[in-house]
Amino acid sequence: MRARIIQRESVLEIIDILRREGYDVAAPFRGRGRDTFFDLVTDANKDDVRVHLPNPYYPPKRFVLPHIERMMNIKCDDGGCCVQPETDVTPLAVFGIRSCDVAGIQHLDRFYLDRDFKDVYYERRRDNLFLVNVVCTDIENDIDEMCFCMCADTGPAARGHFDLQLMDLGEVFMVVAGSAKGEKLFEHRIFEKADAAHVEKRREILAGVRRAFKKKVSWFSAAVRLVSRGGVSEQTWEEIGNRCLECGGCTYVCPACTCFTVSDRCSAAGEVERVRIWDSCALSGYTRMAGGFNPRKAVHDRRNRRFFRKLAHYFVQRELSVACVGCGRCENVCHGNIGMPSVVEILRRSSAGM
Amino acid sequence: MSVTENIYEPKPAVLERVVDEIDEVKTFYWRFIDESEQRRFLERFEPGQFAQVSIFGHGEFPASLPPSPTEGELFFTVRKVGSATSAMHEMGPGAVFGVRGPYGNGFKMESYAGMNLVFVAGGIGMIPLRSCIVYALANREMFGDVKVFYGAREPRGLMYMPLWREYEESKDVECHLTVDKADAEWSGHVGVVGSLFKKRDVNLTSKNTVAFVCGPPVMFRFVIRDLKTLGFSDSQIISTLERYMKCGVGKCGHCCIGVAYVCVDGPVFTYKQIKQLGEDI
Ligand SMILES: Cc1cc2nc3c(=O)[nH]c(=O)nc-3n(C[C@H](O)[C@H](O)[C@H](O)COP(=O)(O)OP(=O)(O)OC[C@H]3O[C@@H](n4cnc5c(N)ncnc54)[C@H](O)[C@@H]3O)c2cc1C
Ligand code: SF4
Ligand code: FES
Repeated sequence: MRARIIQRESVLEIIDILRREGYDVAAPFRGRGRDTFFDLVTDANKDDVRVHLPNPYYPPKRFVLPHIERMMNIKCDDGGCCVQPETDVTPLAVFGIRSCDVAGIQHLDRFYLDRDFKDVYYERRRDNLFLVNVVCTDIENDIDEMCFCMCADTGPAARGHFDLQLMDLGEVFMVVAGSAKGEKLFEHRIFEKADAAHVEKRREILAGVRRAFKKKVSWFSAAVRLVSRGGVSEQTWEEIGNRCLECGGCTYVCPACTCFTVSDRCSAAGEVERVRIWDSCALSGYTRMAGGFNPRKAVHDRRNRRFFRKLAHYFVQRELSVACVGCGRCENVCHGNIGMPSVVEILRRSSAGM
Repeated sequence: MSVTENIYEPKPAVLERVVDEIDEVKTFYWRFIDESEQRRFLERFEPGQFAQVSIFGHGEFPASLPPSPTEGELFFTVRKVGSATSAMHEMGPGAVFGVRGPYGNGFKMESYAGMNLVFVAGGIGMIPLRSCIVYALANREMFGDVKVFYGAREPRGLMYMPLWREYEESKDVECHLTVDKADAEWSGHVGVVGSLFKKRDVNLTSKNTVAFVCGPPVMFRFVIRDLKTLGFSDSQIISTLERYMKCGVGKCGHCCIGVAYVCVDGPVFTYKQIKQLGEDI
């Protein structure tokens, strides 16, 4: 069987094991107030790692797709130019990644690795990535009223795509291996045999958590249908667009957004580094072309774009996953209350003629 | 396990000569420094495709490939608009820059075998069309009539003049030039591109014909109207879309419109497809 249990006080030892095996480990910490964040674990901070806490706004996506990433170094002198690509192969584990964010990484895999062109930067990092998923079970801490993973069908317990999955059963945690790499860790003595009672307890707890979600149903699939067949009126898009302040927040907190821009910077004399940086379709410069022509001038054209790209059936089919994982972050950060759940609701109302 | 190719890595190329084309537009003849890269590229590229050009330290931009694969020579025609294109305009023979590609779907000329071809270009819209005009004439027996209509604001706005002079003498192709405003030396037609269709010596019909149209948005709209009056259907009209592009390989997201990534699903689309994509030209 691919499941074990681990005593509550031993859970953080998984981090020690991974570090001993050569992984850099990123884990969630609490900052001040509501602030929570993923950071690299060191000897100094390792006791401050939190298993249950509000999911950090800045998604762990950045460990496979850094916000700013150097792609290559270019050296030019009289003898010509030399292009030296740089990929990162440091083994890295993310401890405490939530199910929605696991689904985000699954989406990135589909997008960056499954098409005609493979993204080598993403591939190298992904090959060296180890995911320790934590199922959201602490109703006070893990879940907030914006979470809609149940509607997006990504949580609260991921069905795969992790290496290990932890679930809090009280005195013990249940550990499920999702890959050979994960199962290999079961050789360590902290992992004990699980029995039928544990499995039953897991089922019970999960059922309870499911009941605790505020957003259990959503018109997600109805929204996909509406958007795909062009059934949303220009007026509705304008209503949504009028509420957007073009801060870009929604895209920067999104675990499934993939867009980037590329820029050259001079690093040393005669040396250039080419970097890529997350970009946002919310910003007007995103599509502006030479001569100032912008095919998406109006704000609502840009918002329309974001939701179309995420919900249109064509793309869902192409990537075999939806570019929205139900984490609720965009709803939390948006000043205009037009995160995904709200937009789905607006679309539903508009189609019902309300 | 096979090693994944780095799709973002530009390959060093060297500039061989630079020709002033028109104001702010130059043609840059170049070759890859690595011979095998040069061969690979020449074997691979098709009319209507583009490449990503790196001017190190100034950035990377998409540029159409105006040569036809039948010419065995590589060049770009580039208008100076911003930082990377301006830096390229400063370059002289011997300068090293980077190229990767070829990218995009191209015009797929084989699919028009046996048909009449009409090329309509305005200004620098001729850059992507040049490739398939030269290709069509190099494979002359493959196609029916070939007609070229090319207009610019003024005579010094017409690019690739030696080529048109040669075509005007040729029996293989009808070549019609026009300018919006003539100067003292211009003895040719005056008027917008569409006005050429009504010239007495022009006999343009839509039957078994496909029209390739590239140019600024205003010109594009008028030419479409004129072609439709002549009976062309939306799927008989073909064009290329230009979008802000950062990667050329379907990853950065900038060029995505409707359900298409212009860099991989395009840049060549029928007018019918363009209408379905639902964004301005
Ligand atoms: C498929 C394709 C083929 C093209 N072929 C040619 C060609 O053969 N010859 C040619 O001269 N130009 C061509 N262009 C346009 C050319 O890519 C832009 O002019 C160029 O990217 C501007 O780069 P820059 O660094 O000089 O400008 P920047 O300093 O980056 O910007 C100057 C202005 O240009 C805009 N711009 C930046 N990048 C692009 C872009 N990729 N497309 C459109 N506008 C942009 C900016 O928003 C700004 O308004 C093509 C574009 C596409 C998409
Ligand atoms: S977070 Fe809201 S206001 Fe900010 S760009 Fe996104 S939709 Fe617009
Ligand atoms: S140019 Fe990057 S996705 Fe098309």
